Amino acid sequence: MMSSTNNIGLEEILSSLNQLFEGVSTEKVDPRQYKIITPPEKTIPVLEFLKEKGYSHLSILTCIDWIAEKKFELVYILFNWGTGVTFVVSTYVNRDNPIFYTVKHIWPTAEYYERDVHEFFGVKFEGNENCEKPLILELWNDLPPLRKDFDPLEYSKKHYPDREYQKDAIHEARIIRGDVRGEIDG
Amino acid sequence: MGEVKLFFGPNHPGMHGNFSVHMYVEGDIVVKARPMPGFLHRGFEKLMERRLWYQNVALIPRICVPEPDINEACYAMAIEKIARVEVPERAQWIRMIVLELARIANHLWSFGGIGGPTGMYTSMYWAVADRDRVLDIFEELSGARIYHMYIVPGGVRKDLPPKLEDKIYHLLDYLEAKIPEYETFILKNRILHTRLKGIAKIDTETCLKIGVTGIGLRATGVPYDIRKVDPYLFYDKVEFEVPTATEGDAYARISLKPKEIIQSIRIIRQCLEKMPSGPVNVKIGEGSGLRIRVPRGMAYVHVESTRGEYGYLVVSDGGEKPYRVAVRGASYPQGLYGVEHLLPGTRIDDVPIWLDSMGVCAPEIDR
Amino acid sequence: MSNRGNVKIDERTVWEKIADQLRSRSMWMLHYCTGCGAVELPPSMTSRFDLERFGIGPMATPRQADIFLITGYLSVKTLRRVIYTYEKMPDPKYVIGFGSCTINGGIYYDSYATINRLDYYIPVDLYIAGCMPRPEAIFEAFTKLMEMIRKGEANGWKRYKENYEWYKQNQLRSLGEVIIHDEFHE
Repeated sequence: MMSSTNNIGLEEILSSLNQLFEGVSTEKVDPRQYKIITPPEKTIPVLEFLKEKGYSHLSILTCIDWIAEKKFELVYILFNWGTGVTFVVSTYVNRDNPIFYTVKHIWPTAEYYERDVHEFFGVKFEGNENCEKPLILELWNDLPPLRKDFDPLEYSKKHYPDREYQKDAIHEARIIRGDVRGEIDG
Repeated sequence: MGEVKLFFGPNHPGMHGNFSVHMYVEGDIVVKARPMPGFLHRGFEKLMERRLWYQNVALIPRICVPEPDINEACYAMAIEKIARVEVPERAQWIRMIVLELARIANHLWSFGGIGGPTGMYTSMYWAVADRDRVLDIFEELSGARIYHMYIVPGGVRKDLPPKLEDKIYHLLDYLEAKIPEYETFILKNRILHTRLKGIAKIDTETCLKIGVTGIGLRATGVPYDIRKVDPYLFYDKVEFEVPTATEGDAYARISLKPKEIIQSIRIIRQCLEKMPSGPVNVKIGEGSGLRIRVPRGMAYVHVESTRGEYGYLVVSDGGEKPYRVAVRGASYPQGLYGVEHLLPGTRIDDVPIWLDSMGVCAPEIDR
Repeated sequence: MSNRGNVKIDERTVWEKIADQLRSRSMWMLHYCTGCGAVELPPSMTSRFDLERFGIGPMATPRQADIFLITGYLSVKTLRRVIYTYEKMPDPKYVIGFGSCTINGGIYYDSYATINRLDYYIPVDLYIAGCMPRPEAIFEAFTKLMEMIRKGEANGWKRYKENYEWYKQNQLRSLGEVIIHDEFHE
């Protein structure tokens, strides 16, 4: 099952990552999962390096909104079919003007993951010309919905009217259960 | 002959689920195709951030409708990985039984589903009725037919009910006797054979390039299975084989399904034999009752679903709610990139077979 | 649960009454899986529960269908297609709201993508509560619908014509536009 390229040991890859790329830090999650934090300018060379070493399967490309730190964390999850090891490669981009570079030349499927991330977080990917086309949402006119400052309940209340009930069934259930005091009419 | 723009789905007899492909056709050959997902988008990833860790157990099975248990398993295992909690041994064996039963149910479901696009409805009537036998086991186990919410962070909800083991054995015996019939009467049936052989062919290189996993990849001769390559639960302690085929066409993919069911039956038998008695869940995180806190951290967990690699990335900031959960739907690569680049060249009447045999599942793409 | 409870005096002619008797015995259900409830339809239709003994079968095209099952939550993107499909169906047509999500949003009450109340956009004859309704509940609903048709109470399609302006206004309020575009972005 193993090809010649992924016979290189895990230790070797981790140490050569630190030697070849400045500012890259690695962290062990469990024996078969490692997190690699890279500076933005090193991310794509690191991904290319890992792909050559057998981490050729891009499981998912996604994003995390760290609103307090004013950063978006882009996460690339790579999997090695030979050894069963997962690398979680992540990098931080500025939240105010989020621009990063595409990886669709390395993994063609990334084109759609990038469209997804652009739609839900507003991160632009330079080099992906389809990146700004809507994919899942249709006629969306608000903040990208997975950003932390977007409130879905408020949006839902504004756009989709609720059913009006004559009595508050949830409140009555609470009374019956004894959580709050009150009277049930009828 | 000019090109015609055609909206295929979401309301189309050949379409499985609520998914659409927009294409240009010349005659009956597809020239250009674009996937249109998003009809089942409910914003799960956002809703999960708004609910407590345990509340999400009720929400997540709905991400993948025909095989809900993988969601619960991924989510629970990711939390356990972050919190560094060891789950009791019995709970892990029960989880394996549940996951394999779900795998059998979904294989039967999609095996029946191929009846629609090929016009061979016998497979649908047989397989869906047999799937109901599995659902009856689930009903006794968890109280629900479709959404079980049985696997929770820290273990499983409660122990197996009395005498369920006997019923599972009985079901396995029944299915084991039934599967050869499927192979004789359905797979060797001329309608199915003629309709599927050589259709929707795809090679190993393309699969690996675009990230197709699961049966799509295994039908091209590569025995990649996450249960073998990166074993979770106790998959390294049971014996099973990874069936493969070499043709890489729709027929190869469909014919792998009964073979996988046989392997699942083998796994469940071993689980039932090896399962020790003991507790089935353990407390997780800090806090009391359902309001727990999971320590700060990030973990990615993937399992082998019937359609391929299904994964959850869970991020915790130490609070009562998840900070972020990202879902990797197993059919994401073939459903989006695959449709755009591999569909052109096929005929319109083969498009449903393509989508069906590649296992394109709309709810997990849309989330 | 019948919608709005506006039971009128039976204004049907004898011929309409006979037609309704016959209609209730042969109904075609539109094959459109709008949500996750559709997963319980194949078990209901196939050998174990066998829907055909009620005279109900699946129909591929909206032009020849009588029943429109809204199986569960509706995202706004699907709602556009649902309205389009509903208007394509010939009279008389019956809508069943399937599952709690169609009644009040259900578990997705705070989602930014799904509507909270189906009868605000299209008239609904009957609701089935639960998530998800079992095949037995589906049968209960269908027999109830057959009874309503025989009594002339299932007249959502008439309400849609009478209150067309109101429904259209609600649709536009939540959706912005009800036109369907393609994915080519040309």
